[in-house]
Amino acid sequence: MSNSVLSVISRFLEEYSTTTSTKLKVVDAYLLYILLTGALQFLYCLLVGTFPFNSFLSGFISCVGSFILAVCLRIQINPQNKGDFLSISPERAFADFLFANTVLHLVVMNFIG
Amino acid sequence: IATPGLLLGLLVLSLAPAGAQALTPSHYLSLSDVSRLQNLLSQPFTDLQSAYYSVVGLSKLGGIVPDHQEVCQFLKSQLDPSSVDSLFFAAETSQAISGCEIPVSNETRDILLAAVSEDSSMTQIHRAVGALSSLGLPLASQEVVGALAARINKEDNVMAIILALQTASRLSQQAELGRILEEIEDLTARLDDLGGIYLQFEEGLEATALFVAAAYALSDHVDVEPPLKEKSWDSLAEAFSVASAAAALSNNRFHVPVIVSAQGPATVSHNQPTLQLLVTDVMSQPLTSASVLVESAFAVATKSAILSQTPFTLNDGVFELNFMSSQPASGYYQFTVAVTGDSRLVASHVELKVKVSTEVSVSNMDLSVVDKDQSIGTKTTRVDYPSKAKSPFTADSHQNFAMSFQLVDVNTGQELTPHQTFVRLHNQKTGQEVVFVAEPDSKNLYKFELDAAERKSEFDSMSGTYSLYLIVGDATLENPILWNVADVVLKFVEEEAPAAVQPKTLYVPKPEIQHLFREPEKKPPTVVSNTFTALVLSPFLLLLILWFKLGANISSFSFSPSTILFHVGHAAMLGLMYVYWTHLNMFQTLKYLAIIGGVTFLAGNRMLAQKAVKRYVS
Repeated sequence: MSNSVLSVISRFLEEYSTTTSTKLKVVDAYLLYILLTGALQFLYCLLVGTFPFNSFLSGFISCVGSFILAVCLRIQINPQNKGDFLSISPERAFADFLFANTVLHLVVMNFIG
Repeated sequence: IATPGLLLGLLVLSLAPAGAQALTPSHYLSLSDVSRLQNLLSQPFTDLQSAYYSVVGLSKLGGIVPDHQEVCQFLKSQLDPSSVDSLFFAAETSQAISGCEIPVSNETRDILLAAVSEDSSMTQIHRAVGALSSLGLPLASQEVVGALAARINKEDNVMAIILALQTASRLSQQAELGRILEEIEDLTARLDDLGGIYLQFEEGLEATALFVAAAYALSDHVDVEPPLKEKSWDSLAEAFSVASAAAALSNNRFHVPVIVSAQGPATVSHNQPTLQLLVTDVMSQPLTSASVLVESAFAVATKSAILSQTPFTLNDGVFELNFMSSQPASGYYQFTVAVTGDSRLVASHVELKVKVSTEVSVSNMDLSVVDKDQSIGTKTTRVDYPSKAKSPFTADSHQNFAMSFQLVDVNTGQELTPHQTFVRLHNQKTGQEVVFVAEPDSKNLYKFELDAAERKSEFDSMSGTYSLYLIVGDATLENPILWNVADVVLKFVEEEAPAAVQPKTLYVPKPEIQHLFREPEKKPPTVVSNTFTALVLSPFLLLLILWFKLGANISSFSFSPSTILFHVGHAAMLGLMYVYWTHLNMFQTLKYLAIIGGVTFLAGNRMLAQKAVKRYVS
């Protein structure tokens, strides 16, 4: 049982490392970074307390928002999804990503207190 | 005629329609009014005009003019033989007193005759004709009528027409007075209706009064009933008149308004069984020739008739009826009285409200204290009016205090239910009083029960000795009763003292409200915060490691101006975010962001376009 799970995981990692382009791996690493940052903030909130609550919220919202935007970017630049985003070039996707991040962090900064 | 109204005094005469068919004068001159007018008129006079008003007014009221000879001397000394006004006043006054003759010359007569023409004013014509007829001089009636008719056409106002009416009544009966007589009807139509009750000319009381007097005088003179029909009388609801008008109404051949009033209060009882009516004209002179009849009488409360077609008997100028002989119950009765015997009588149907009063006595007054649990075996105490129970009654919260009594008509023995029957409890110590209504049951037996536990709020739970009073009153009772029946000791359960709000603390300022900011929570130890700061930053290290492992690089970074500008602009935006956090507000930030963002957008656009081109080429 555990063997099969392990084999599935090892097979998954092998497939991932071989078939995924470097560009997407860079974005995935960014996603992992955001995920861990958000998780650690939440852990702090659970262990120590919510004070100051607005700071916690803005940090956490920043993580969640950035994660979602990065996922969108990843979907749009994935060559496998090219058929769905014919009118959107990778450069255009990156520009949108930057613009959305600017707006998001304007809100986050407003909220940080 | 300047102010005869004021000099002669006012007679206020109101003819108010009572019901639909009968009309009843509601104001008239009592004997004291007449004497007050006479006093006013008896003042010494200063000139011919005031002499005229005083003497003529007094004689119309039936008063005595003192010292005819002196008045005559005064007239002769004041007379100006060339003035129509002076001649008129002197002649009229001399007419009212006996044995006084004013000497007239031919010039005087010519002056007066010349004044009677359609070129002189209505006043002049009136005075000239008055003077001529009073002095016994001949005058051509037909000419006067012509002059009057012409003047009426020119001076079409109320006062002028009234003067014409007065003048016409002086003229010969052979003259054609019909034209003048018609004016009466025209004037009646011009009377103003005041509030549906009063009718008068807008020129005022004096004009209205003079009109009434003149209309009757002229009608009397020509022996034609004035064209004031019953219908106009209905609308001539109140006429105001001077003394001459009252005299005209009392002494003419056509209409005599009747005043029916009760002698004293319109009340009968067993002590005073006769209803006495005064039937007079407007000058309070009794009309003894009339016969008075009760057409119907019914009780106001039950509408049941008690009398019909019963005559009054005349007794020394007063009409009397023994109403108690028909044994009426106490209360109010509506009488319709008819005055007959003379066809001139106006307003001969009169409605009267008559009160039948009686005396009451309290009987069978029983007092008792009843246990709520077992109502048997109670001892009742009888108390007789007007004495007071010998010993006080005591009732606590487990008992009811009860009283029962009857109210009986002393004269007939019937049970009565007066309007007001109250039981009053008066606290002898605090002065507090509580009043209850005693209600009769179907057998007209009054019962009153006091539940000490239930009623404690009305007594404010004040235990103590209360005086018990019985109050009986009614408009038809001659002897209202206030009777201290007994003393009652009420014992209420002592409640826990009610948390009385101290009223004085209501108006003291409340403590000031201080705004409290949220207490900052206790900060975690610095070690913990620092540890977590490091922990939160650590994934960034992981990111760098992963990127390094993946072989991410900046090898394709070109140093074209657009690329540099884009990166610098982007860094500037991040810096602006930090400055916004520390220094700026949203509006300032948006302003700077628009500048930096615009530049960055253009540069980024160019850079990414170059990259895309490069990608297509490769």
